[in-house]
Amino acid sequence: MTLLENLQHANPALWSPEWLPRLPQRLVEILLQSCGAPDWLVTLAGLFVAAGTVVGVFLSAFALLSLIERKTLARAQNRIGPNRAGWFGILQPVADGIKMLTKEDIVPAKAEWLLHLAAPILIVVPPILALGVIPYGREWVPVRVELGLLFFFAVGTLTELSVFMAGWASGSKFPMLGAMRAISQMVSYELPLMISALGVIMVTGSLSLPAIVAHQAGFHLGFIPAWNLFTPWGLSAGLIFYVASIAEANRCPFDLPEGESEIVAGHMTEYSGFKYALFFMGEYLGLFSIAGLGVTLFLGGWQAPLPGLGLVPSWIWFFAKLAVVIMSYLWIRATFPRVRIDQLMRFAWLCLIPMALLTIPAAAIWHYAGGGVLGWLATVPLLLIPWVVLTVVYNRRLAPTTRSYTFADS
Amino acid sequence: MTPLLILTPLILLAALGAVWNARPVHAALLLALALALIAVLYLIIGADFIGLVQFMVYVGAIAVLIVFSLLITRPGDEAEELARRPRSLVTGLACVLPVLAILVYAVSRVVKFPDAPVENPSVSIAQVGQVLFTSYAPAVLTVGVLLTAVMIGAALFARDPGKNPQFPSDS
Repeated sequence: MTLLENLQHANPALWSPEWLPRLPQRLVEILLQSCGAPDWLVTLAGLFVAAGTVVGVFLSAFALLSLIERKTLARAQNRIGPNRAGWFGILQPVADGIKMLTKEDIVPAKAEWLLHLAAPILIVVPPILALGVIPYGREWVPVRVELGLLFFFAVGTLTELSVFMAGWASGSKFPMLGAMRAISQMVSYELPLMISALGVIMVTGSLSLPAIVAHQAGFHLGFIPAWNLFTPWGLSAGLIFYVASIAEANRCPFDLPEGESEIVAGHMTEYSGFKYALFFMGEYLGLFSIAGLGVTLFLGGWQAPLPGLGLVPSWIWFFAKLAVVIMSYLWIRATFPRVRIDQLMRFAWLCLIPMALLTIPAAAIWHYAGGGVLGWLATVPLLLIPWVVLTVVYNRRLAPTTRSYTFADS
Repeated sequence: MTPLLILTPLILLAALGAVWNARPVHAALLLALALALIAVLYLIIGADFIGLVQFMVYVGAIAVLIVFSLLITRPGDEAEELARRPRSLVTGLACVLPVLAILVYAVSRVVKFPDAPVENPSVSIAQVGQVLFTSYAPAVLTVGVLLTAVMIGAALFARDPGKNPQFPSDS
């Protein structure tokens, strides 16, 4: 068949807006097929293009977000923000990129050059891999993995090792301290993150992310979307996931690893130029991936928020929800001061992890009660009473108050 | 077959590097590499669940734990470590060889290599869970009790009986 015939006989929905993000992949596949390429080559090239689409979308989103973030923070602090490069500062990311690329690449004399070089590269890998399994739309799932959620968390653990490599290979004190902080924070907050996702897995009965989204289809009472967030256990787990995801993405108020006034820039202190930019890229891609996972698990993924909106392509809903979640991160960053390391650790181990563990029996009860009024009656007291008790007890007795220093006090 | 032929020497090289490297941090990172490559091996032979869990537990938790304890404890003089190597090699071999012999014996009893299945068996995660919580439930429970005991012990060790500078009281 010729290329034209192939295009005409292709899936008739190919040109619909729903398929738009996958159009490049399909076009490459059809093109290769009509050239008579073997099947494995067609699949491989299609996967490359699908991955390229995701990376392209999120790298542009990264550039856009860096500008939006600076503008938003500036408005929150009664400033104007970047407004010189281009119209309303819209070319600022380009200027930043050129600046980063042309800067001198400095490797400290005491650094281990191989690990020093490998760390910024390795830190970009996990978020890109994780972004590959998220279902962005009804038809737009870059790679369908049966164990998608497990894959997401498994590749995410690589970040800790690369942060350690960055901190240790720099051969300097501040990066080392920053890496220690970053790793202990990530390890502590990964637990509530994973445990709060367990309830979703139990209720869905699958680790596949498209299945989790499909399970949240439909509406209660005709207008309340059947998202996991709108169940008692889902609300509890979703809040825990939200807090833990901010810490996992090293965002303010949990951005201790890079606390400028305390440890310069943490594990990134000895990096300059493009390697430094890679750390930022990894951080922002990690932010997108963790927020995207939150949207998938609790906010119904690409499901429309109201009935009767089926005409809008599903991926638009996903990115709208993602934008809302990320804007809330910006708002929090503009509002809250940075917490102290002992406050951070204590909050994770005494508050988040017990409450995350409680969402598991709540989800089980909800599942066996079949939701509905019975489910609400059984799970709301189970979650609400410990929440209230723990909040009161934590604020009165457990929260760290004054900080004492081992060496400075005596 | 070819991926296995490429991968196995790499795993062996990384593992040997982890054993022979004199610098503890390099050894730990090479160990993490070897564990990650073993996870890839599992993925290639079609044991997706085991592969991902191997990656998450060994690379994500165990390797990070080793690396973190290296950061905190600040290992001693490396030259001294090197001097002690011959004896540690003997004791190490004495520990490893019996375990290896038992493993080889056990595997050779279960799997007859010429008749080993050529096809990758497909096991779903539901089946894994089913088996884990029915026929292997006593083992799972035992491990759970053991880990809880270890946790309590670790908490007891970490607790400073006197003044705890990390978490001051309201004073």
